[in-house]
This record gives sequence, C-alpha cells and structure tokens, in this order.
Amino acid sequence: MFWDERMETLKGKELAALQLKRLKWTVAQAAKIPFYRDLLGKASLGPGDIRALSDVEKIPFTMKKDLRGGYPFGFLAVPLEEVRRIHTTSGTTGKPTVVGYTGNDLSNWAGLIARNLTMVGLAEGDVFQNMVNYGLFTGGLGFHYGAELMGLTVVPSATGNTKRQIEMIQDFGVNAIHCTPSYAMHLSEVAAAEGARFPTLQIGCFGAEPWSEATRAELERRLGVSAFDSYGLSEMYGPGVAMECQERDGLHIWHDSYLVEIIDPATGETLGPGEKGEMVITTLVKEAMPLLRYRTGDITMLRDEDGCSCGRGQKISRILGRSDDMLVVRGINVFPSQIEHVLFSLPEVGEQFMVYLDRVHQLDEMTIEVEMNRAAFSGELRDLHRVQEKIASALRETLGIRTDVKLVEPGSLPRFEGKAKRVVDRRGVLF
Amino acid sequence: MYWDSKMETMDREELGRLQHRLLKTLVYRLYSFSPFYHRRMEEAKVHPDDLKTLADVTKLPFMFKRDLRDNYPDKLFTATKEELVRYHVSSGTTGKPTVVGYTENDLEEWTVSLARALTSCGLGAKDVIQVSYGYGLFTGGLGLHYGAERIGATVIPTSVGGTERQIELMQDLGATAICCTPSYLLHMGEVAEKMGVSIKKDTKMRVGILGAEPWTAEMRNRIQDWLGISAYDIYGTSELSGPLFTECTEQNGIHVWGDFAYTEVVDPKTGEEVADGEKGELVMTILKKEALPIVRFRIGDITSMTREVCACGRTHPRIMRITGRVDDMLIIRGINVFPSMIEHTLMGIPEVGQHFQIVVDRKHELDTLLVRVEVKPEAFSDKITDLMNLKAGIEKRLESALTVHADVELAEPGSLPRFEGKAKRVTDRRKL
Repeated sequence: MFWDERMETLKGKELAALQLKRLKWTVAQAAKIPFYRDLLGKASLGPGDIRALSDVEKIPFTMKKDLRGGYPFGFLAVPLEEVRRIHTTSGTTGKPTVVGYTGNDLSNWAGLIARNLTMVGLAEGDVFQNMVNYGLFTGGLGFHYGAELMGLTVVPSATGNTKRQIEMIQDFGVNAIHCTPSYAMHLSEVAAAEGARFPTLQIGCFGAEPWSEATRAELERRLGVSAFDSYGLSEMYGPGVAMECQERDGLHIWHDSYLVEIIDPATGETLGPGEKGEMVITTLVKEAMPLLRYRTGDITMLRDEDGCSCGRGQKISRILGRSDDMLVVRGINVFPSQIEHVLFSLPEVGEQFMVYLDRVHQLDEMTIEVEMNRAAFSGELRDLHRVQEKIASALRETLGIRTDVKLVEPGSLPRFEGKAKRVVDRRGVLF
Repeated sequence: MYWDSKMETMDREELGRLQHRLLKTLVYRLYSFSPFYHRRMEEAKVHPDDLKTLADVTKLPFMFKRDLRDNYPDKLFTATKEELVRYHVSSGTTGKPTVVGYTENDLEEWTVSLARALTSCGLGAKDVIQVSYGYGLFTGGLGLHYGAERIGATVIPTSVGGTERQIELMQDLGATAICCTPSYLLHMGEVAEKMGVSIKKDTKMRVGILGAEPWTAEMRNRIQDWLGISAYDIYGTSELSGPLFTECTEQNGIHVWGDFAYTEVVDPKTGEEVADGEKGELVMTILKKEALPIVRFRIGDITSMTREVCACGRTHPRIMRITGRVDDMLIIRGINVFPSMIEHTLMGIPEVGQHFQIVVDRKHELDTLLVRVEVKPEAFSDKITDLMNLKAGIEKRLESALTVHADVELAEPGSLPRFEGKAKRVTDRRKL
C-alpha cells in the first residue's frame, strides 16, 4: 500500500529531473538566508550554476555548529509571520537549534509520516499509540500529525506512566505503537512482570536512537509485533525522513524531498553506493528552513540496488554509528560539548568531569562525576547536596534530560595528556 | 475582531432557534443510536418529540461524571472505531480514568471554538503563541495548539516544565502570548526575575490565556500589573472536549458559543434552573458532539450566567469566573484530583492502614500535594531502607493513578486523627 504512489516509486531520469528542479528552487530559497548568501558568494555560486544534480557538490557543507551562529532566527528563509510552528533541538552548546515550519512544511511533513505509516501496513481505522515526547521534541507532534492525516485513531500518550500505557494498549485495542526501542523494551519488561498481553498489537515503529537486529528480534518476540526502524532529525522536519518497508531490510529515504549524499567524513569526498560514510542531506521542499549539504553526523550507506521489491526507490542502510561524539540518551541527542558548556559556567565546578552511560532496566542512565571547586566547598553535607541539585537542574535545563550528578574531590578524576576521553559508554546493545 | 462575525453576533432569537434545531437533531440521534441515553430517556419518560421548545431541554435527564466511569472505556461512544481519530484521558473518581473519544468533526468543532476565543482575546496571525500546557493525554496542550495554529499564529509547543528554558525561548523567540495555568505563569515570573529577566520589560509578551484551575480577580490584577500583559480566563473540561471558551477583551465573563453548547446553571440539590446572575452548578449540552455525547452534563463547577449582549457585540451567553466545586474535587497544577481516587489507590496497597490525610499547599506559586499515610503495624519496620522503599512505592502508585506527583509521608500506626462523623481528610492551605 502507498500513500503517494507516484512520489514513492519515482526512479531514474524522472526522479533526477524532479530533484534537479527542486534543488534549483532550494538554492534560490536558501539564498534568502544571509548565511547561505555568504556561503554561496564565497564559492562563487549563483542559482544559475546548478545545471546538473552533481553540481550540488560545488556547494560547501553546512555543519551543526553553523546553526548555532544563526540562533534564533538566522536560518529562516521566510518572514516570521509565515512561520506556523517552531521546534527546538539540542545545539552543540548552551542554546538550542531553532527549526521553523511554514504551513506547507507542516503538511509536507505530515504527508511524509503518512507515507511511512502506510508503508508499514497501517490504514484508517487502526489505533496508534504515540509514546514519545510531545512539545518541542519533533517526535511526538510529527507522528501525531501524520497519523491523524491518515485517519488513524491517535492515542497521544506521550512518555512515562508505563502501567497506564499498558492499560491503554489493552483497553483501546491499540494496533501500533511508536516509541524508542529502549522504552519498548522497558514496557515489555513491565508487561511481563504483570502478565499483561497485547492481542491487538501488530506493529512497532521504533526510532530516535540506534538499535540492533538482536533488539528487533527480542522486541518482536516479547511484544508480538513487526518492528520497523524509523529515521529522522529535527533539522529535516523531524521523524519521517526514512523508514523501513515490509521487507525490513534497509530504510526508504524520500528522494523527492531529500537529496542524499554519502561522504568520507575525513576528506569530504563523495562515496558511491555500497560505501560506508556520513550522510549529507540537502532538503528539496523545505520552505522555512532549507538546508544545503547538511552534515547529519550519521554513518550509513546507499544500497547498491536502485529499488526494492516493494516498488519504492533506493534504500539506505540502518544507521551504523556517528561521525562525531553525539550521544543519544533516552531518544534525546546530547553533545558532550553541551555538558562541558553547562558545567564550566558554574563557579562550584572544578577542572574535570566524566560522563558515564549505563542501561538500567532497559533505560539509559547518565551519571556525571564532577570535581568540585575547593573554594566553593564549605565542607557541609547540606551544602554539597545543594550544589549537586544546582548542577543537575542546570544540566536538565540545557540537555532536556535528567542526569545523576556525583560530586567528587578535586584531583580525583583522571587527567588526560592527549585528547580528553570524558565519555564512557557502558550500554552495549539493548538487553 | 471576530473569527466568525455572523455567528458570534447572531440575533439572540435566531440563535435560540438554531439551538433548538441542533438540540432536537442531537437528541433524535442519541435516542436512536445510544443505548445508554435511550434507556435514560425511557426512565425519565421523555421522547425526542417532547422537545417542542428550547425550554423543554429541562425534561431531559442529567448525565454525571460517574456515568462516564461506569461505561469505561468507550461504552457511551456513538461513533464507530473507524470514525474515531483521537482519544484523550483524564483522571477519574476511582480506579479507571475517564476516556474521551473524538471524531474528525469533534476536533474541528473544538478547534473552531478556540479560534473564535483566541481571536476574541485580540490574537491573530501575527502573534507568536507559547503553549505551556501539558501536551499528550491532557487536553490543554493539543487543544490550544490546534486553536493557535488555526488562527495562523506561530506556535511554540513548549509544553510544561523546564521553566528557565521556557523564559529563554519566550524572550529569544519573541513570544507575544502564553497559554498556561495562572499559577505557573506566576511561578515563571518569579523564576524570570531570578534570572534577571523582567517579563514586562524584556519580552514582547502581551496576552495570557490562563485556566485549568480557579483563580481570582485579584490574581488577574497582580499578573497584569506585574507582568505587563492582559490576562484572560479560559474554560473547558476534557468531557466537553477540552479547553473551549474564553473571556473577550472586555474581561467580563466567558463567552460560551451557543451554536456549540447549551448552557444551564442549576441548583445542585434540586437540579432546578436558577435565575441569571445567581450562582449554581454549571450544566452543559454539547450540541454537535459525535463520539462522546454530552447531554445536560453536571460538571460540578459553580458559576452564574448572563444572557446580556456583551459590550464586544457578541450575543452568546457568558458564564462568570468559576468560584468553587459542588464536590470535593481538587485541582493540583491544573490536573483534577479526586480524594476518592487517592483513597482507592491507597487501599489497594497491602502495607497501608485505614487512615490518611491530604494536605494541599502552594510553594513558589506552585501547588504541592502531600499525602500522610498510616502504615499497618505489621508492615512498620525499624529499617529506614524498608520505609523509604515503601514511601517510594506509594508515591509511584499515586503518581500513576493521579498523573500528578504527590509527596508521601509515612505515619506510625494510630498517629493520624480519627473522625467520629464525616472524615475530614483534606486540608487545603492554598489562599486564592
């Protein structure tokens, strides 16, 4: 089943012609943004210089940290009056990245999600429980609008309260859930402890963090679902960029909306199908915030074969890792540079810190050991507690997640001679 | 400014005829398709044909919150599974929550009601609206989100929490309006000042759409003077769809769209209608609701109504500020909490004894809920860790049932007060 059969199955010359037309439009749209005007000017590129799809390689990359410089509205190509929605996503330091949407952007985005949900086998009449955060995080409202567009019955359950989530899946006869794979694993543990079963549940859409084939097998066994990998990033609307079809062998990325390149992250050189590298995306339909050759930081590859037995186009592999040090904690992106920025702005914090990631009851836990600044330490226990709370709350404000802060004596954490290795990820694969 | 000037300023008699027509359509439909309401009408010996005039609405039987509970989750629905597009859930009086289903038309009616309301508060396409109500199962967030989107505003879906980040975004993104509970806005004002930000001077904020909990004229004055905004009361409950109606810029009563709802105010004891201007219990009939019919629903809120035409030109009836409840429902940070729900949850925990106390207070403008629980003698341990685990376990069970956090304090067996007559377990120390 297709939501938009023509677009989903567009291939070869026809696809290339559409992409080129849209690329030209996007470059002209981006040129309304001072950052891109400068970037294109320095590269001596005008909209007229894009004559073939391969000309995209003449455009310099856009990095995550470039977006920081534009905070808050520097990357908007339309006046604020035309912006209907604002989402934010974690920046590389203190301030978040702002993503704007026009009315057309919101309907395009919902359409892409509808393609994904149709592709995994859902249709009007099905009940869909959306167990991710609503609000500024794009996962909740993104899937919500797409599911609503299709006429699904949406249970906007958001996160938390696992017992209630289980009760609703049962009482509302839910057919499909959407959440992070680790939350699904946690839910299955709680359900097993209660002896709860899910006879109506058929489909699990899992995303926002990397997960393995072993986790897929385990989730399918425990929940009795077919599990599908979903991919997206807020800079590109949010979820909905790519998803697996019924084959569950690689993700369909929507080539009419996103121009994909795979590059060598070290040299920036373009790689061919079958070669592993960093995914770089140029948006093709985004109005409010077009992005040219955006470095996603995600490592994947374009598949050799141009097509799929489902009839849709060329796939990408599941995400194989990151080219930078970004961490994904309970579905939220966290940059170690953000943590550093927060900690070093607090006078109570000393010279060193360490970040530990663990998985407890299938859920990610982040522990941060912080050396105290001797001058700020009175020696009283109560004072210690206050400082700990202050640090945890400052981290929560910026990162958007709860962390466990431990204060340690000055000089007790490891010192590094070369590049500091401050993050220890002990999570391994799920379960 | 009107969203739909023809409808909003409709001649009163014409509006009455429209209401009568909508009411008859609704009741015929329910008599045919709702086994529950058909039975209720038979019991009350009333037939749809008896609705000769609008005043005959009083012949119809009332609906109560317990009717929703008794028919959990969807036995009252008059839409097919295919027609349902959304569920919302709110806390019930015991055990199971109250479930509200929506068809596409239900969502549309809800959104249009709020588009009219937000326009009547002077908001429009040029505004940047920060929605700081909770998103998800709670109707506040998604309701206002859809309404704000409909009038063409820029929506910032901040949801609740992360107060410093909220203030930063309010300032950096130039938000001109905010939707939240009045107490959360006061809390934001305090936090902003600690951050060195004056909402009055350092932001573009000019309108507050405040509700989900009762507040007073004094609180409005304080918010307006301190934060430099116009503050408007918003009203609705999840059974009615969610937040629906607001004051207009006159700030003189909440406009209840007559083509959307038929409003009555009754004596809670007798169920008889009281005169305009007199206080009583609010009763509403939602005239076009499809999935979950609401007919003469006893909401439990105390208010009065007026049918006078407002200075803004709108002709629809207005209800005044909610001044209390006919039952013991508490509102904690915008969430409805029934003491019976707390009792139900506690009594399901084997270590908990017969007696408990509920203390509600307000700290830094935010509501706090404390539950003191007597532990059974056999469960009372000398080991601190056992007691800590028990406390944490009870807090988790309560939070799961109430959807709002409660602090639990364990008390020794026999230490809480006993009552000879009606137990008075709730102490509300908040000063409104």
